[in-house]
Order: sequence, then structure tokens, then C-alpha cells
Amino acid sequence: MLRHATAPDSTQRSDLVSRGQQAAVGLHICAALFAVALACLAGGCSKSDNPQSPQGSGVDLSSVPPSEYPLPTATDAARFLNQASFGATEAEVNKLRTYGYSAWLEDQFSTPGRSHEAYINAVSASLPAGQSLNDSHVMNTFWREAATGQDQLRRRVAFALSQIFVVSLQDSTVSEFKRGVASYLDILGRNAFGNYRQLLNEVTLHPMMGLYLSHLRNRKEDPARNRVPDQNYAREVMQLFSIGLYELNPDGTPKLVGGQPVETYDSGDIVGLSRVFTGFSWAGSDKSDTRFNGGGTQDPDREVLFMQSYPSFHSISEKRFLTAVIPAGATADPDGDLRIALDTIASHPNVGPFISRQLIQRLVTSNPTPAYVARVAQAFGAGRFTSGLWTTGTGQRGDLRATVAAILLDPEARTAARLADPGFGKVREPVLRVAHWMRAFNARSASGNFLLGVTDDATTSLGQSAMRSPTVFNFYRPGYVPPNTSIATAGLVAPELQIVNEISVVGYSNFMLSAVQNGLGSGSPRDIQPDYTAELALADNADLLIDRVSLLLTAGSMSAATRTIVRDAVNSIAMPATNQATARQNRVRLAVFFTLSSPDYLVQK
Amino acid sequence: MRASRRQFLKTASLMSMAGVAGPFALNLAAIGAASAQTAPGYRAIVCLFLYGGNDQTNTLIPYDQPSYDQYLAARDTIAIARGQLTATATGAVASQGGREFAFHPALTSFKTRWDEGKLAVVANVGPLVVPTTKTQYSNRSVPLPPKLFSHNDQQSVWQAQAPLGEGAKLGWGGRIGDLLASRNANAQFTCISAGGNAVFLSGQNVIQYQVGSSGPVAISGISGNLYNSPSAAGAYRSLITGTSANLFENELGVITNRSITLNQLLSANLPPASTFPLPTPTSNLASQLNVVARIISARGALGTNRQVFLVSLGGFDNHDFLLTQHIQQLTIANAAVNAFYGWLVQMGVQNDVTIFTASDFGRTLTSNGDGSDHGWGSHHFVLGGSVLGHEIYGTFPATTFGTSVDVGQGNMVPGIAVDQYAATFARWLGVSDTDVPLVLPNVVNFGTSRYLAFL
Repeated sequence: MLRHATAPDSTQRSDLVSRGQQAAVGLHICAALFAVALACLAGGCSKSDNPQSPQGSGVDLSSVPPSEYPLPTATDAARFLNQASFGATEAEVNKLRTYGYSAWLEDQFSTPGRSHEAYINAVSASLPAGQSLNDSHVMNTFWREAATGQDQLRRRVAFALSQIFVVSLQDSTVSEFKRGVASYLDILGRNAFGNYRQLLNEVTLHPMMGLYLSHLRNRKEDPARNRVPDQNYAREVMQLFSIGLYELNPDGTPKLVGGQPVETYDSGDIVGLSRVFTGFSWAGSDKSDTRFNGGGTQDPDREVLFMQSYPSFHSISEKRFLTAVIPAGATADPDGDLRIALDTIASHPNVGPFISRQLIQRLVTSNPTPAYVARVAQAFGAGRFTSGLWTTGTGQRGDLRATVAAILLDPEARTAARLADPGFGKVREPVLRVAHWMRAFNARSASGNFLLGVTDDATTSLGQSAMRSPTVFNFYRPGYVPPNTSIATAGLVAPELQIVNEISVVGYSNFMLSAVQNGLGSGSPRDIQPDYTAELALADNADLLIDRVSLLLTAGSMSAATRTIVRDAVNSIAMPATNQATARQNRVRLAVFFTLSSPDYLVQK
Repeated sequence: MRASRRQFLKTASLMSMAGVAGPFALNLAAIGAASAQTAPGYRAIVCLFLYGGNDQTNTLIPYDQPSYDQYLAARDTIAIARGQLTATATGAVASQGGREFAFHPALTSFKTRWDEGKLAVVANVGPLVVPTTKTQYSNRSVPLPPKLFSHNDQQSVWQAQAPLGEGAKLGWGGRIGDLLASRNANAQFTCISAGGNAVFLSGQNVIQYQVGSSGPVAISGISGNLYNSPSAAGAYRSLITGTSANLFENELGVITNRSITLNQLLSANLPPASTFPLPTPTSNLASQLNVVARIISARGALGTNRQVFLVSLGGFDNHDFLLTQHIQQLTIANAAVNAFYGWLVQMGVQNDVTIFTASDFGRTLTSNGDGSDHGWGSHHFVLGGSVLGHEIYGTFPATTFGTSVDVGQGNMVPGIAVDQYAATFARWLGVSDTDVPLVLPNVVNFGTSRYLAFL
């Protein structure tokens, strides 16, 4: 009864966790992280709940101590929500204004959510004979949760994590396992407010990562045949998931020795660490060679079960990497070696600034000041964050709840004065743009399944789909500098601009032109339809209409120049004496489409 | 931020001027950077970038029996059977001591071009700062490229010379473009990628222009009725091409403006895609090359004389399933490049266009069971009517361990630098001897062997 996502209650849910722990988790993992509410994510709550309406957090919002910030204005609230969720909605703006930031965060930390894997399982069970799961089903559950999930902060952080700990359906091997990918996205959500060390463990042992970075079925060396362990995961876990290439100061800037950066590891470390990641493969009822190689009677749930160790395939040679030396031994201890390796990596001083900076880039701004990174990294290291009278976090290094709170409540994220800085903010990636449109206008899916599929094609759609990065290096690099631009001249990076180009601007504009009028997704009418009721009620007055759209989409930051253009466009459709409904519709469409296309929307500030 | 804001305003005003005056203004900028370049007529290079790090050992396989035996012993679990190599074997190659080689069985058209003398192999080429021996590498006694064996960094190092590594801003294709853009009526058609964003094509003045594999597509919202409004389309264009004090907002406007302007020019001048029939089965790479062929075909109408293109194919990071996945990617490359060469012949420009391969890095000679890991030096192909083909340039190392170039796991310290490979294309396109170091600053470290003899 160690099923990954079908556990009927939270007790068995923790059995699942323990399987990962048995395999490799250090003893310091805090059981309290796996509160009942979090367990619901893996499907534990779905048996009795209406899947469309998960229960609330149960947190008494009025009793949460206040943060250092006063209750926000509507624009401040909307701005926060654009950083902390898939986009502001009227309801969330009102909630945040009523209770304040700390209460909103506490509420979100405890709000249960739905499992992507449970969704896939349900779809799979209802497929007509002869049909099989495809990538669209994974996209559907992603969009459904982005648009309507109550646990918005968890979703947004999980999406950010999916761009650091990348697994991609574009990989031909991974793409055979839709349920596995849904389960992988679930573990990112489940650990979004947990601990980095546990997250790293689950990422490492998830079979989708094992397939993607090829440490699943990785074998010990065989000198007689010149065979060495696969080095893929050993390299990328350090370069991308934990410490990066260069030694960092606590503020995320590179340490310089003699003016030069200092490399964190070399080829020798890769060789040593690659021996650790040998002897792991599919879970199942035995540890036979056949099962290791993927043959025989496969466990029907193997794609959602953490990998298990196979000592006979694990290297017993010395493993020397970073500060660790695991001596050569007589018997193979894959789980023990893995624990040492992940402990060593997770305790490296780079992890705090390395991960913090990237999360800031995904949630708030592309170019955080070193002081901002340092403050967040401090919360990561201390496992605790305090603002005003409110404190959060377990006090253990790597606490992601404290880290996320530190990112969102930092003065650099909250101070409206930053809006005037020409280098502040981040280009919104296409998936966020569309998700926010769905949320701002309460988009509803006729099927309930949000039938929007893969949106990879930059010419005709978004040039980006969740869980479909081209490579493990994500859709864009955190250090991307767009050549020949004023951004480069200013010494800034702009990661998301790596996928903005002469083609993608066409694709996005045409995609939204149609979406605003016709909705999105398959079917006729299309499955996902916006609800412009509130906007239609304001449509006769361009300024009131724009006020609302600007608040929802740009946190009220629409520039005077943009506003003038949008107003002229809205007013280009006069209100006639008859057939006013059509005119109102078109006025609303113009206001929404223009705002969605405006630089004020495309750059989150 | 005060200084950067001033800089921004200055740059922005230049950019908006360029927006108004169109390509001519950028042309003037390019002329400033260029000295007189020579070479008549139309010429273009096409970089086929194989993302992921192509396994060179299974791309060009030692074939004479003693060499093949070494290869088989080195990586028996991922070796291609000798019997599958008969049709693509080269025969004895005099420059390599009479050794024989075979193209991967999927590379049938590469073998045909080889036989025709239109395809050359460049052996063991890779990033170097200075000529480097195995001992110098081991002792770290010479400067080395940063972050060897890392995908993103080595992609950058292959494509861009300074600064080296991720975050590089100047690609050597773009720098060639800087120097030659003045030969084009529209400088913005100098460096064109149909294969995604690549720093390779970014110069100091020249900007990479990205086209989709289906060719030009217009923004619908800037013309005609927009949600029943007859006048909103014009306002919409102003909205999406406007300037802003925020650097990111401003750049979005710059890109969109460029997209609209160049799309209109291409739409008016490109022949239909069907002019160049796609191979069966087709691929995205074939479509990328199709749009490149259409742009080359419109060189008269667009007034282009010198162009640098990039197309790309991913899927080469074969840590696993090397034998089954590598053949799929090479099959795609083989069919697409074969079709493209046919289109060049169809246009009569096969002597004016040279195609070459590049990749993140080579891969280990060792096997990890069913794949290979990140390496360094690799073998690459150069193809075109002007290529002095049917030859392997450089030294093809013995496919075994402990050689004079083996820095571990059979990874090769390159015998030929990317700079030398690149300089050869730069010179062929018409960059003068004195200007080549502007494109490739480190090429001066390679003394008199600055160029290779394949062009």
C-alpha cells in the first residue's frame, strides 16, 4: 500500500512519503511538513470532496498577526497577487484588502488543492476504448488549477519550481508517462512550502526525473568494458538544481579570487558523484535484474512511485565530490550513499542564494538587488521569516515557506516606488499571461476540464507549454542577456525575453485576439469562456471600464499613454441607440485585448 | 539607475530613429564598423546546430578492420555493427594515413556529397583559447574555455567569442554580419535564424532576425476591422510598438516593430513554400531549411548579398538510448540537408552557399551502458559546391583510450579550434584578413594556421 497518488487518506499518504524516506531521506526531515492539508494534494481528499471546490484552509484569518505592511490598497493588493498567484481577481483583491498579507499567506499555506495525478487517473478511467492519454491531458489539469485552483500560491511556486527542477514531456521517453509527469508536478506542489532537502530527495527519486536525466537504470562502472556510470544527473543536479557553477556570496554575487570566479566543482566531482546515482530504477515488488532493466511484470504504478535501489547495480568504488568522501566499501549501500550526497549538496552555502535568486526571478523581478537576494537567502538558511508581528517557518535550513514569504514581503517586492525604476519587474512568460486572463475574467470551462492543449508553437500560439521545456535548461536561462538592447547596456538580464522574438509577438497577439472574442480550447463553442459580466456593466463609460481592466490586469499601473490609446479604441465604437449589447461586447473586447497586448501588462512590475 | 536611464534614453532615441528611417539607418551604423570587404556576388553560410552534443564517435566511425576493432573494444555496448557501415564507407583517406571511415548508416546523402567532392569532414574541432596539448590541459598551464562539458556554456562558446559562456552577447555569425551588412540593401536580413534564439547571430550592430519555419505571418490586429472597429487597428499598432521608460516594456516594442516591418517585406517578396518541395517524411528542420531557401531565393528582391543563417535540430544529448535515438536525429538531418542541397542546385546557388554543422560538444568515447556523456572535441561536416570535399581536415584521433588527445574517458582535446573553423567561413564570405580578428579575437593565437583549407 505504498501507492503514490491513490492513497485514500492522509495516513496512507504519509506511507508514500516514507517510501521515499526509506530510500534515502535524512532523519532531519520534519514530519510536521506533511500536514493533513498538504496530504490532500496527492489525492487524499478527493474521495469525498467535490473536485471543483476543495475545502478552505480552516485558518482563522482575523487571528493571524499582521505583517509590517498596512492593509493594502486595491492596486497594491493586485500587484501582490500578480506575484503570488496566476493573477489577480476581484475576489482575491478583496480578500487581501480585508485580511492583509500575512493572513493571506497563512491561508494559502494551508489551503488544500487538487492532485494533477488524480485528474489524469480520472481521465484515464473514462477514456473510450482505443484512446490513450496524451500531453493535452497534462496541459488541461495544469490550466484548470492555474485558472481555478484555490491554492494559488502553491500553484505559482510549483510552476516556478518546474522551471528550476525541469522535467519535460518533450523528451520522447518521459512523454510515454503522462500520469508520471502529473505526479511529478504534484510533488513540486506538495513540497512548495516544505523543505528544500526533501524536495531535492523527491525530485531525485521521481522516476520522471530518473528517465529525463537518465539515472533511472544507471549502472555501476565496468572497467573491463570501459563502461562508466552515466554522469547526466550528477552534473545537472549541481549545475541547475542546487549550487550552480560558481561559488556565491550570501547575496548571490560570485565570489572572486584574484578577480576570477571560483568553480564549485570539476570533472572529478562529476565522476565521484555519478557513482552515487547508480543502482536506482523502477519501483516494484522485488529487486530483480529484470525489474531494474524495466522488463518482466511491471508494477502498474511504477511511473508514480519513487525509484527504489538495486544494490547489485550500485557502485562500491570510492565516491569523492564536493566536501564528501564515501570510501570504497565491500557492500553496496545506494540509499546511504544517496543520503550523504544529497545532504552534502543541500548543505552547500550556495544553495540559499542560488535557489532564492531564481525564485525571485520567477515571482517578482528579473534583477533583484544583491541585498534582496541576501535577505531571502537568510530566511532560507534560518528557516524562518519575520515581518511585523508575523513569523513563519519551521526554523530548519531550507524551509521554503519562509523563503517564499521572504520573497513576497521583501520591501523590494512591496515598495511601489520600485515601479519607477526602468529595470524593475519581469517580462511575463506566455503561460502566465494566458492564465491571468482566465482568472481576471473568471473563465469557466464547459467541460470542467479546461481543454486547452499544447501551446508550443510560437507562430500560432504561445511558444511555451507547462512541463514542455525544450531542455533541462528551461525555456530561458536565469542569466539571459538580450543582445543589442538597452537591457544589455544597462547590465541587466531578462530571462523571459529569450523566448520573445519576431515570431512569438505575432503568435501571442493573434492567439489572444481570438481568445478574447471566442474563448480558448477545443470544442465549438470553445471549452474555456471568459465571463465579462462585470466589464459589460461598465462598457458605456470607457474610463470606468479601463479602470477595472487596468486594476485586474496591470494592478492599476497602466501608463497615461497606454490609457489614451485604449480609451480611443474603446470609444471608436460608439454606443448606438439600438443593439447596444453588441457595441458593449466589442468595447469590452477592445479594452481587454488592448490591455493584454500592452507593455503595461506584458511586464509584471 | 540614473546612469543606465540616461543610457537608455540615448539608445531609445537611436532605436526610434531606426524605426522611422528603417534599415537604412542601421546600415549606416554597420558601415561605420566595417572596412572595405571584397568578394563579388551572393554568398551565405548556414549553421546547422545540433543541440545536445552530437556523439561524434558514432557519426563518423573508423572502418578499416584494425581501427574498427579499436572502436568496438572502446564502446562495445553502443557500437554500430561493422556490417551496417558498408554502404557509407569512405574508402582509404590518404590524409589520415590510409585509414578508412564510414558515415553513420543514416547519413546516406552525406556520403553521396562526399563522393561528389562537395562534403568535407573537419576532425576533432572544438573550443580552445590557444593551441593546447593534453599535458597543458592536465596542468591547467594554458587558458582554457570556461565550463567545458556544460551544455549551455559550451553552446555559447561554440557560437560566441566574447565574453565566453552563458550570457555572451556577441556571436561570430553576428560579428561577420556586422562587417558585411553594408553589402545588403537591408541590414536586418543579414543574420537570420529559423532555428530559434541563438547568440551566434548577434553582432554589435546586427540583430538576429528570427523567422518561423512556416515563413512570414502577420499580426492580424494591425489591419482591417478590429472587433468591428474600423479605426482601432492603427491604434493597436501604436500600442504594441510604443516606447517606454521601463527597459523591458521598451524592448517588447522594439521587437514588435521589427517583426511587423520585416514581416511585410518578406511577405511581399518570398516565393511560396511549395517552390521547394519538402522531403518525405518531412521534419521541422526541413521546414526551417525551406524558409531559408525561400529567403535565399528572394535575394534579388531583398537586395541581399551576404547572409548568415542558423537552423537547428535537438535531441542529441544521448546519455541513454544512443543507438535508437541518434539514428532518428541523423535520419532527419540527412533528409533535410539533402533536400536543401537540392534546392540550392535548383536555384543554381550551390557554389554560393555553404552549410556546416556545430554542436554543444563531442561526447565520451566510453559508454555508460547505453549512451555517452559530455565531451569536448568533435567531428563536423562542411557541405557545398565551393567546399574542397572528399577529405578529412585535421587529424582524426585513434578511437581508443590513452591517446595523445585523450583527457579522460576518450574525450578529446581539440586539434582544431572553433576559431579556425569559423575564420575559414568568415574569409570565404569576404571578411578581410585584417578584420577576421575583430570577429574572432583568439584566432591570432593560432599563428599562420588561422584558416583551414576546406574553402
